[in-house]
Amino acid sequence: MNHVLKSTDSLTPPSRLNALIRWVTRSIQKNLNSIFVVLGFFLLWEAAVWVFRIPPFILPAPSTALSHLLFPRAEANYRWSYHISSTVLAISLSFVATSTVGILIAIALAWSKRLKEIILPAFVFINSLPIIAIAPIILLWMGYGVFTNMVIAFLVGFFPVVINTITGLEAVDEDLLDLVRYLHASKLQVFLKIRIPNALPYIFSGLKICSTMSIVGAIVGEFIASDRGLGYIIINAQYSMNTPPIFSSLILISLAGALLFTLVSLLERILMPWTAFEAEP
Amino acid sequence: MHGNTPLLSIRELKKVYKTREGELEALGSVTFDIYPQEFVSIVGPSGCGKTTLLKIIAGLLPKTSGEIFVDKKQFDPSREVGFVFQKPLLLPWRKVIDNVLLPIEILKLDKRNYIEKARALLELVGLSGFENNYPNELSGGMQQRVSIARALIHDPKLILMDEPFGALDALTRERMNLELLRIWSESQKTILFVTHGIQEAIFLSDRVIILSARPSRMIKALDIELPRPRTMEVRSSAEFGVYSLEVYRCLELT
Repeated sequence: MNHVLKSTDSLTPPSRLNALIRWVTRSIQKNLNSIFVVLGFFLLWEAAVWVFRIPPFILPAPSTALSHLLFPRAEANYRWSYHISSTVLAISLSFVATSTVGILIAIALAWSKRLKEIILPAFVFINSLPIIAIAPIILLWMGYGVFTNMVIAFLVGFFPVVINTITGLEAVDEDLLDLVRYLHASKLQVFLKIRIPNALPYIFSGLKICSTMSIVGAIVGEFIASDRGLGYIIINAQYSMNTPPIFSSLILISLAGALLFTLVSLLERILMPWTAFEAEP
Repeated sequence: MHGNTPLLSIRELKKVYKTREGELEALGSVTFDIYPQEFVSIVGPSGCGKTTLLKIIAGLLPKTSGEIFVDKKQFDPSREVGFVFQKPLLLPWRKVIDNVLLPIEILKLDKRNYIEKARALLELVGLSGFENNYPNELSGGMQQRVSIARALIHDPKLILMDEPFGALDALTRERMNLELLRIWSESQKTILFVTHGIQEAIFLSDRVIILSARPSRMIKALDIELPRPRTMEVRSSAEFGVYSLEVYRCLELT
């Protein structure tokens, strides 16, 4: 009966290396396009400022914003490296803390249905509060400092992580659970071997939202509760109508956002190697 | 025909679901024996409780009444049963070999002792060389082969198969039938196979158990005495036609 073996099913293992190379080339191509778009946007902006002679206190050209960064003026002598590193620290600590705590909370809530029923509505309530409105209270309680920034960033960013992670932990095929249930899998085994890996794609989309939220949180925190950081520069420069440093900060903040997002995507690729080999459309 | 003792005995097994509209009798009263190394199929109209029966045997659903035992003892499905579902249900984040080894991890056995066995089983199902591929690199038929290897890894006596080829195209399905007969004879397992394909059931089985529509009762257990090993030619034989007609008659399709 051996002659019936192995006929229609392709029996050469698909080359993993080729698939990976294809994926890398494709992502570079995609990113090349967006780099061109961003460059084009900056060129248009630069040209518009020169052509329409827009005064720099209303809209500085990107080159002006950049020159403020590289050659600080006497009237606004910001120590950029100090402020940048302070913001980067606030963003990264907020992101790491928010995602870690968010994922752990989600696992606890998915583990205990009872806990979820009690706690999730409270989270919805907290998430609905406008952060700008409660940030002053947090400042009042905790004073200036990175930790205050982190708390504010956490309040903005934890919800998408929790909700996405819970969704992923619960979005398991019933039949898949039967598969391990008949082998008497323990609840812990079901979590470790099925639910948590199953939730990874959901967790990463939560983390991508959280990466943006951490930046919002950190900057808002610096607006209100800090004497350092890019958020502080924006507020400070605004008082003296010194517009160029505001734009320098904005450019740096969006750069940080893009960088964090890329890092999360990269981590996703590394932790979920199987998605790199999905069938080509 | 069977001199030895049954591997599994099912006595007056009943299943009643309680729904909002009242009680729904999914499984009337089913009684039969399965003998070691037998290939038994269950056919019947959809909704007749075929899947329910398998799930009760596997311990996934509680029975309402009746008995299931091995050698007069209650049996532990987690050690004695391998289950092949309609869908392959492979874990996309695990390589093929790690999918095959999943039951070993769940049963907390020493994985190192089973790696060679997993390789041998993948060879048995015609997938050597694919150990380190991810499931989404494989076709539907290949994925179902992996799930058969996974059902065999902890060496259960009884393999339960719930329409395992139902989702495959007709040609792949025919091929998988032949493959399954080879795997069955090489692994010397006992198979209880649920299908709604009457031809498939007759072609594969030593015995075809025919269930009626809900509430299901056993209409007949039909012994299939076609010679083994079976090839596609057997399907065009006169005896095959007689068996088919008999099943159709039992299901009142004639």
